[in-house]
Amino acid sequence: MSAGLVLPPWRALGASRRGAAHVRSGLPNQDALLLPDLESDPPWILALADGHGSPKSFRSDRGALLAVNTAAAVCRRLPCDPESPRLSTIKHWAEDYLSREIVRCWREAVDEDIAAHPIAAEECTQSSLASLESGGHYLAYGATLLVVMVTVTFIIYWQVGDGDILTVADDGVVSRPLPPDEKLFGNETTSLCADRSWQEARTAFQVLAGAPPALILVASDGYANSYRDEAGFLRVGSDLLTLIRADGLEAVAANLSDWLDEISRQGSGDDVTLGMLCRTTTNPARLGQWG
Amino acid sequence: MPKLPGGELASRPLHFIWIADCSGSMGVDGKIQQLNFAIRDAIPHMQKVAEDNPNAAVLVRAIKFSNGAQWHIAQPTPVAEFKWLDLEAMGVTDMGMALSMLAEQLKIPPMSERALPPVLVLISDGRPTDDFQKGLSALLGEPWGRKAVRLAIAIGEDADYEVLQRFIGHPELKPLQANSPEALVRHIRWVSTAVLKSASAPASQPREGGVSKLNVPIPAPPESGDAAEDVW
Repeated sequence: MSAGLVLPPWRALGASRRGAAHVRSGLPNQDALLLPDLESDPPWILALADGHGSPKSFRSDRGALLAVNTAAAVCRRLPCDPESPRLSTIKHWAEDYLSREIVRCWREAVDEDIAAHPIAAEECTQSSLASLESGGHYLAYGATLLVVMVTVTFIIYWQVGDGDILTVADDGVVSRPLPPDEKLFGNETTSLCADRSWQEARTAFQVLAGAPPALILVASDGYANSYRDEAGFLRVGSDLLTLIRADGLEAVAANLSDWLDEISRQGSGDDVTLGMLCRTTTNPARLGQWG
Repeated sequence: MPKLPGGELASRPLHFIWIADCSGSMGVDGKIQQLNFAIRDAIPHMQKVAEDNPNAAVLVRAIKFSNGAQWHIAQPTPVAEFKWLDLEAMGVTDMGMALSMLAEQLKIPPMSERALPPVLVLISDGRPTDDFQKGLSALLGEPWGRKAVRLAIAIGEDADYEVLQRFIGHPELKPLQANSPEALVRHIRWVSTAVLKSASAPASQPREGGVSKLNVPIPAPPESGDAAEDVW
């Protein structure tokens, strides 16, 4: 942390739990979560990836892990000082460079992982082997990726594939910072492993002025799919903000893993992962001292 | 543990729909009786598969077609409570109308966006007598129609294999040929169990990246059986 920044204006919390259906079928947790190191200088990066988990994506848990680490590495290459940025440059960087680089670096990481750990025949089915031979080795690591990159002056939201990024305002109103993607329907998703997947990325840029979010949530699709309807899922945001304000972040942290287990058990059965960034001050004027 | 954040939790609905040919020819050589038997026989096995995956709420119903089409079991029924009502054979083969009626029920709403891909099983022994393409277009015009697991069972050698293949829409997946009561039971059992199990917990499917375009991985189907047992 640089001199002068005594405390980061955010606190981070999250958990990733193996889904109830994965426990029954012996599958691992194929989600990966990376929480920001708030003790370091910004940007602070929250990343979540969800491995596809099908027989053809038999290394998707590794693909998810590579995805969150790649996202963090690429986001740290901000083209200027994050504390005094040229916002128009950053916005252009986020919308153009970031997507290409995340996808390119993830593929590079997959290639390196395969070189270091060659795929053994017993890892996959015959049809998966055929797919690998026809250039589908990225599919073996296929994953979705959600990234929130926070500095003292702006936030970048970035996503390829399913899952949810929510923001919660001081008054508890829950919003989606990214536009919906009609291609995400049923169990079909855009993916890091698809051709030209960087073109499928959705990006939003938010200047931290006026009314910054009190809470930012990222969740794998197993979370939202566990609720009877959209309204029930969105209520997670306002309920969590209320709980944090009433009982503190530590109380939420103490219960989070149990909640996620129960949500998967009663809901989708899928792996359920939630990462959150909670602003430590609700006063935008006070936040200004950081930016 | 404090109250969970958020609204009501729920397992994901999985709609399983039989689409049954009840034309007059299904009355020949006991085909309709065998179909009734095969579906009734499969119900306990379906229930067992559903019990093994409480995260999918399997809801079953049936539509029939002959002179026109109508919902035979209209209410999406939890599989644990599902009872088969016998079909009777008479009339022509208005398959297109059945698909159009099905398309109406696959709209959002009444379907939910968070549902699992529905399983649609078309069973027929003949050629459509109405505008099949119109019905198929209506079905594929709905997102859940396109994303559904569409399977077909051809009963006897007079079934229109090409029409059933168009309904399935995936060249790697062929209509199941049932030329005997035994083969019909095997095929009905397979769609009710192996396919249902696969559809109950589908992994995410990336767009473009996969070799297969099937929305749900379909397990290997049973053999059609020994030609010596063929009666239809």
